[in-house]
Amino acid sequence: MTHQAFVQSLRQIVGAANVLDSDVHLQLYQYDAYLEERRPDAVVFVHSTEEVSRVVKVCHDFGVPFVPRGGGTNLSGGTIPFKGGVVLEMIRMNRLLEVDVPNLRARVQPGMFNLELGNALAPLGYQYLPDPASQKAATLGGNVAENSGGPHCFKYGVTTNHVMGLTVVLSDGEIVTVGGEAPDQPGYDLTGVFVGSEGTFGVCTEVVVRIVRQAEGVKTMLAIYDSIERGSETVSAIVAAGMVPATLEMMDQLVIQAVEKSLSCGLPLDCATVLIIEVDGLKDDLEAQTEAIERLCLAHGAREVRVAKNDAERALLWAGRRGAFGAVARLTPSYLVCDGTVPRTALPEVLRKVAEVGEKYDLQIPNVFHAGDGNLHPLILFDWRDAEQKERVMKAGMEILALCVQLGGTISGEHGVGLEKMDAMRLVLSEADIRSQLKVKQAFDPSDLANPGKIFPAPLEVAHVQ
Amino acid sequence: MSSELAAFRATLAQAIGADHVLAAVESTAPYAVDGVCPPLVLRPGTQDEVALVVTACAAAGVALVPWGGGTSISVGNPPQRLDAVLSLERLDRVVEFDADNLCITVEAGLTLARLQALVAEKQEVLPLDPPNADRVTLGGLVAANLSGPSRLLHGTARDWVLGLRVVLPNGEQVRCGGRVIKNVTGYDMNKLFIRSFGTLGIITEVTLKLLPMPEARASVLGLFPALAAATSVLESVQASFLLPEAMDLLDPTAAGLLLPTLGLASPTGHLLATAFSGSLATVDRQVRDLEALVAGQGGRVLTLRDGASTQAWQAITNVLGSVPPDLLRVQIQVAVPIGRTAGMLASISARAAEQGLSAAVTAHAASGLLRAALLPAPGLPADSALEALAAATLALRDEAVALAGSLTVQAGVPAFKARVDAWGQPGSGFATMRRIKDAFDPHGLCSPGRFLGGI
Repeated sequence: MTHQAFVQSLRQIVGAANVLDSDVHLQLYQYDAYLEERRPDAVVFVHSTEEVSRVVKVCHDFGVPFVPRGGGTNLSGGTIPFKGGVVLEMIRMNRLLEVDVPNLRARVQPGMFNLELGNALAPLGYQYLPDPASQKAATLGGNVAENSGGPHCFKYGVTTNHVMGLTVVLSDGEIVTVGGEAPDQPGYDLTGVFVGSEGTFGVCTEVVVRIVRQAEGVKTMLAIYDSIERGSETVSAIVAAGMVPATLEMMDQLVIQAVEKSLSCGLPLDCATVLIIEVDGLKDDLEAQTEAIERLCLAHGAREVRVAKNDAERALLWAGRRGAFGAVARLTPSYLVCDGTVPRTALPEVLRKVAEVGEKYDLQIPNVFHAGDGNLHPLILFDWRDAEQKERVMKAGMEILALCVQLGGTISGEHGVGLEKMDAMRLVLSEADIRSQLKVKQAFDPSDLANPGKIFPAPLEVAHVQ
Repeated sequence: MSSELAAFRATLAQAIGADHVLAAVESTAPYAVDGVCPPLVLRPGTQDEVALVVTACAAAGVALVPWGGGTSISVGNPPQRLDAVLSLERLDRVVEFDADNLCITVEAGLTLARLQALVAEKQEVLPLDPPNADRVTLGGLVAANLSGPSRLLHGTARDWVLGLRVVLPNGEQVRCGGRVIKNVTGYDMNKLFIRSFGTLGIITEVTLKLLPMPEARASVLGLFPALAAATSVLESVQASFLLPEAMDLLDPTAAGLLLPTLGLASPTGHLLATAFSGSLATVDRQVRDLEALVAGQGGRVLTLRDGASTQAWQAITNVLGSVPPDLLRVQIQVAVPIGRTAGMLASISARAAEQGLSAAVTAHAASGLLRAALLPAPGLPADSALEALAAATLALRDEAVALAGSLTVQAGVPAFKARVDAWGQPGSGFATMRRIKDAFDPHGLCSPGRFLGGI
């Protein structure tokens, strides 16, 4: 079948203006926030579940792969059309369909930005808890595909803990609705398995999320350290004292300096690290919790602890944290974000070793991370025009992931495997583990058209077995 | 059969020891599933032995049902085939307790009560509280995604499992997840096995996230003459900033079974039990607020703290276990949208009454989940009793499904299950579920026929 016939079929479904296939347009859809690029054959703007189903059905009939794309903020190459085909541009499916307060649910389309949902719920006194740092530009469909985390996950869990149901289009065009309004639906937990499947099971076209009351009170504080090791020790000390803060975030000196250059949040430029700690809940003990945490920070070597006095000060602290990745982009033309996770108590050790990796490969590696979750984000700085440097970066990145695994952790906490970490999968998974995951892939997508070529490493050479 | 069976038994005896291959009826009878006594009960002692057993079963085409504490074995349809029960009771070791990272890894046969006692030594807790904690095993808790009253604040097993080890129906051992609290390394395979009721493999090891033990616990029990008053309190709490750990609503029959234990002799009514945990300051404030709400609706208030509170919740959680025994007793679980819970509680009583049944109903009132024991009128012939039980159950299922919910049969005699499918009609997505089952268990050897749609 010719490209023209295929594109003509798509245009019949969504209208001529909603199918892009000129060079300039395709170039705009060949990259996301990861480092690889691959050009699609067509971009299709979709507007409804039925439209997605019809478009996917045409892809199926023509044997063309498809990749849904939300905000394109993915850090592991999840939205890059690795095998060409169609990019489904989901961004116009961005409506909040229903807020059902008595049943504590909201029904949303996948192209809605995470922050938009938060903004829509706030006036009602409700919130949707997962809050990836990129929430301004990351869509809920993307959050579902990647099982996104965010600063508040330590206390409240990740996307999967808050998604109650989904409408998805499978690769043959079948529309499936799973989970939803009532809990504990009989049968396998397809919702739970779909969340985090990185677009490889099908296209999510509607999400039912759990909403909760906003907290009565919140306190945000900044603990400033001259030693990164003491800062990360404090994280474990707070948890050991029986407290469950809403967030425990860390940024090191290089990140702080970058943030201050771009945002001026009032962070000290000369410290080794800061911890952003937030407690929320009922007002009655927030003061006491704040004081207890302040004492712990000081006892573990903090040189100063500042408590945000009002919403404006709090917002400023968060602007710094949420703007960290963007700010670091000012330092060098490119960076590779690692996303390894370790048991919390291994943080001081892993940070020391990450620094050693930086020295070994002669690379600058600032760190910003979800310390409470043990989820680090070393940002390896480089210039993509320098091929030799890029090679060192990739080796350093792989070494950091291997370190995390050695310390009892894993290769990705929240950014997904995508194209980036396919080769690192064997650091964690056995061949039997990989086979079992592929069985699920085949059950959802027998024709392998949904975001193909991702997540799984190439099969081992058969020669090994001889 | 006999020579093949003998060879198979010899293989197993070699693998796990002859003492752990039970074939005598007096040893296998306690492991009956829906009235069917398994020809063999296999009790491997390690995870590797489980793999050996499952491999041998796969080779011989032997159909298995896994068995932890047996507390959920009555859930589901009668097995299409039952050649052996695989008991995990000997897998009761702690693999690793990493208290500093609020994480524990245990073998699947360890009971929840033993796990709780162990982690309590380090002032930690697994905030899951299904009935029968002394018998529920961690593997069973995961396979059935069990929960209790505190699912309101803490969710279900789904929210606390970090990792699993599973022996697949072909005998392969796989790991899902890990021991870190954020993990997107490949698919979230934990979710596949949680609530799969033994149809996709045998869970042999579970890694769980823990919480620090709260400083204080208290409960406020409100007894209301009318359901509407209890519902009004419930709605006020939901609209407030309060963060109760649990809110259970019991109909007068269920409440009546508890009142002597709680020291609330009479009069009877609907019982709304609310638990709070956390710092002393927040617990005290919430107790005060709730006492005022209960009194404002004309309810009788009983406030319990610490040990007394814990004891009361044990009784509330296990209340359906204290319903007087009856040969034909049926237990159902109904799931509805949160805001429909109280209405469904009233429906269950009404539908039961229409059929001349007595019912004890208990609800996780702010979570959308209800459980009920249904009993026929004394002296009714068995056939009429079963008809009445089936009619009420099916009517309630229609109501639940109309609300986008479900009704599952938690327990019932085989003659009842012959009339009422345990799960109801499969819905959207079933073809994918079927493909998953066929991919993992192509020969249908793991709990065949017990799950949704004949899976």
